[in-house]
Amino acid sequence: MLSMLEEVVLLAVDEESGQLRSSRESGTAYALVAAVFFDLALARKIDTDTEEIHIVDDAPIGDPVLDRVLTEMRAKPKLKTVRDWLEAIFRGPYDLEGHALASLDRRGILRREKTKRLWIIDVERFPIVDGRPQQHVKQRLLQAVLFDEIPETRDIMLVSLAEPCGLLGNFLTQTQLTIRGERVRMLCGLETISRKVADAIAVLDVSLRQGGAAGAIQGIR
Amino acid sequence: MIQVTEEVRAGWCVVAARGRADSNSADDLEAVLRHAVENNPKVAADFSGLDYISSAGLRAVLQAARAAQEGRKEFTVCRLSAPARKVFDMSGMRHILRIEEELPC
Repeated sequence: MLSMLEEVVLLAVDEESGQLRSSRESGTAYALVAAVFFDLALARKIDTDTEEIHIVDDAPIGDPVLDRVLTEMRAKPKLKTVRDWLEAIFRGPYDLEGHALASLDRRGILRREKTKRLWIIDVERFPIVDGRPQQHVKQRLLQAVLFDEIPETRDIMLVSLAEPCGLLGNFLTQTQLTIRGERVRMLCGLETISRKVADAIAVLDVSLRQGGAAGAIQGIR
Repeated sequence: MIQVTEEVRAGWCVVAARGRADSNSADDLEAVLRHAVENNPKVAADFSGLDYISSAGLRAVLQAARAAQEGRKEFTVCRLSAPARKVFDMSGMRHILRIEEELPC
């Protein structure tokens, strides 16, 4: 079974071009951190309440990134809230996307390809080798959004990771997104980690807008 | 630590949980709720005795409700304690689960 981190990164790979697609960079960065916390929660290593995150079991899992995050959490007991930890890992030295892509490559789901654009610029692509896992993840995502049944835990998590990455528009029409918008918001609200991701993105968007406005004013001067 | 009891009353299986529904007890809670769903047409989860419910606890309840939906059984969460109500409200569980103030039986 793929990890939540692998699933959301796999969803971001364009099956035609092998390029990574995301319409919201900051949202994607926070969502990948959230995916790590979901993986830790599914492995019963951490638990959350409405604000705080708790280590339940700090024995290593065997995944280098998850174990490193767990070790960092154990070493910093003063950081308690989900929000603090989202920020700490967001700003930390973790290449979550690279880790997931390398793992998907090792599993034979995609392959890493380096090409040159204009003979100079390195371009990385990740052509899909085995399309079945991506198709399976897509189907679960669509099922969770388009139907009213209660989804499985992993599928709730998947929707709440795909949304901040701006990936839903790749699989749903604008009409479907409009009609099912309430459903998407409801699913994204079920998990504390997802709600805190939405808060973090909102704060970042405001500061980017303010920074952009300040930059524009400076430019005028 | 959680204590879960099961009692059949007037056609409903009432599953009453007391204590903490967290990562340590979520599997037990889900197992009892699923067992009740498998063996009864109508299940009411009485959460008046819950002191605490974490995300793992919520997932357990939601997955038991999912099993009920798949089996076309009735499933309702009743008498939320104040701490549980806060968590259910914040997560918007009311939009996906049937939640009642009182037991149906």
